Amino acid sequence: MLTVSVLERVVISAVATVLALLIGMVIVAGAGYDPAVFSRNLLDGAVGSEAAIARTLMFTTLFVLTGVSVSIAFRAGVFNIGVHGQFIVGGFATVLAILQTAPVLPEGPIGGVVLLLVGALAAIVAGGAYAAVPGVLKAYGGANEIVTTIMLNFIAIGIVGWLVEGPFRGADQSAPNTERLPEYVELPQLIYSSPDFSIVGLVVALTVTVLIAVLVRRTSFGYEMVTSGQQASAAAYAGVDAKRMVVVTMTLSGMVAGLAGAVFTVMIQGYYSDPAGIGSYGYDAIAVSLLAANNPLGVIPAGLLFGSLDSAGSYIGISSNVPAQLIDGVVGLVVLFVSAPELFRMAAKRIGLGGDEQ
Amino acid sequence: MSAVRNWGRTEIGAAIGFVGVALIGWLDLPLAELLTVGFLSRSLQAAAPIALTAIGGLYAEKSGVFNIGVEGFMIFGAVTTAALTWLIGGETAGQNTLWMAILGSVAIVSVAAVLFAVLVIRYKADQIVAGLAVWFLGLGFGPFVAVLLWDSQNSPGLVSVENLTVPGLSELPIVGALLFDISPLVLLTAFVTIVAWAILYHTRYGYWIQAAGENPEALDTAGVSVGRVRYAAVIFSGVMAGLGGAVLLAHAGSFTGTGDTMVNGRGWIGIVAYLFGNYNPIGAAVAALLFGGLDMLQIQFQTIGIDLPNRLVNLFPYLAVIVVLTMWGSTRVPASLGDPYDSEE
Repeated sequence: MLTVSVLERVVISAVATVLALLIGMVIVAGAGYDPAVFSRNLLDGAVGSEAAIARTLMFTTLFVLTGVSVSIAFRAGVFNIGVHGQFIVGGFATVLAILQTAPVLPEGPIGGVVLLLVGALAAIVAGGAYAAVPGVLKAYGGANEIVTTIMLNFIAIGIVGWLVEGPFRGADQSAPNTERLPEYVELPQLIYSSPDFSIVGLVVALTVTVLIAVLVRRTSFGYEMVTSGQQASAAAYAGVDAKRMVVVTMTLSGMVAGLAGAVFTVMIQGYYSDPAGIGSYGYDAIAVSLLAANNPLGVIPAGLLFGSLDSAGSYIGISSNVPAQLIDGVVGLVVLFVSAPELFRMAAKRIGLGGDEQ
Repeated sequence: MSAVRNWGRTEIGAAIGFVGVALIGWLDLPLAELLTVGFLSRSLQAAAPIALTAIGGLYAEKSGVFNIGVEGFMIFGAVTTAALTWLIGGETAGQNTLWMAILGSVAIVSVAAVLFAVLVIRYKADQIVAGLAVWFLGLGFGPFVAVLLWDSQNSPGLVSVENLTVPGLSELPIVGALLFDISPLVLLTAFVTIVAWAILYHTRYGYWIQAAGENPEALDTAGVSVGRVRYAAVIFSGVMAGLGGAVLLAHAGSFTGTGDTMVNGRGWIGIVAYLFGNYNPIGAAVAALLFGGLDMLQIQFQTIGIDLPNRLVNLFPYLAVIVVLTMWGSTRVPASLGDPYDSEE
């Protein structure tokens, strides 16, 4: 991408979002709905009630984690489009690990905490391992990671879908779902009494984000990772093994994606269902990361924005007849605008702003 | 890993073939029942959208622009064809309606392709990010249109294209069913493949496209606008992917917008098809046929009563993509791919 200053990045992200929303409004109007009602619904759905805020924070938790996962790879110059698959594999591994371990542990809160840790660990390992595959294929086989990770997304959906339909379908489940997690395996409801959101999940997401930010900015490992992505030859002179770095970066990215899957499973679902129907957090995460200029800390506000959008989208889907898929289109537009900083620079020049910038 | 790199296409093809034969032997599959004429013609139908998309994509990449958005353009093509069919003819639409819808859809997708080309060429958008954006737009726009029109992410049954049957000749054994009772869209694909090959390798315009990717400075010095050549190639790639989506719809007869939509990765497979086909339109079409065949295996398995779960058999093409990319990952990418080219300004 062209060199862009931090300030420019912030402005571009903001303008891109506003522009995408405006185009969304035009489409709403064009399809024969009232854009004023639509914007009202958008606001209500995101922050209009306690339930709306809890729902927004629930999506934010997932977007922050998956967004950080994407940003790790992108910063190191590797395109991990496979966060979706790693998220699915991680979440499924959580369910398997917890269901397998539960019988040998005492029931109750202590067993619950241990099971949560077991589940999270399983997710991190599974997500990391699933991401390591395209990393190895890229580093040592030259396989384009964009295409392999996308293929692995389809494969994750297919295999986990088959597993929950047949081999791992819960005995009491009529739908293709695994057995439910034991009731004592849950994140506590401390603030909002929403069944799908726990502040603990958000705290986990924010903690991981800060840890990754420190890792990327303050450690020599993070420095090597970023230079190998942005100045490959300089990194090579400094003795960084670029191939190994690709694998390590992908694995780390996948570990965070796996953890996101664990949070999704424990906090929201409580079992695993057909992954064809669980949403597209891993894809939206790409937009989150790009909007944050692949900066781990920037993922927090970007995640909040996308959390609000998705929360509003699910509200709109229920409370009005505007198709909620419009929100996915808005996400696509945001990504499209963010891809072309030059567009904004030329536009700014034309209307007489920022003419002094190169 | 140079040993892996040195694998040629023939060796990989042979290896895949060997694995296939081994699998057939191991599972004791009745080969004759598996490789039927019906299987071949279904594979041709499945290959057509992939081949069209691949040919467009390779033109863009030859000219120096990686159009990674072809999956999105396919979704646009499929949903606009479905929408136009519905708006013109409804559930009882006939063949003429379908053809009008395909034409209209190609026109609509061309507008989108022009916008995309302006963004990546004039405004130097990051090609990877912009391409992904097109995919996301498709994933949102496809189901959006479907819900708007049909209150569901899937369309009702519309109309699928009728085979072109030559009376008499279609009665011939094997050849008759394959060549004289065939989807006109498969014929169109074959025609596009040959013309695309001839233009790329045997016309001055084809050399310009190749030069725009390999050595834009030289092309510029020769007085040809690099930008113009790239515009043409990128717009062509978007339109071809849109046509691919339209063909997919015309063969299926209805639009599916759930999950990753009915396109379901075929655009990505198209990219791998032209990599595997070494940027040669005919090679790309052959690779597309390989993927189309893998895609249709599940029907074959079902008809001869092999009990492999559908969802796993459906994964064959995706697995094959990974194998092909790993064995043949480092393709001879055009030298200045991905770099925006400035002539003066």
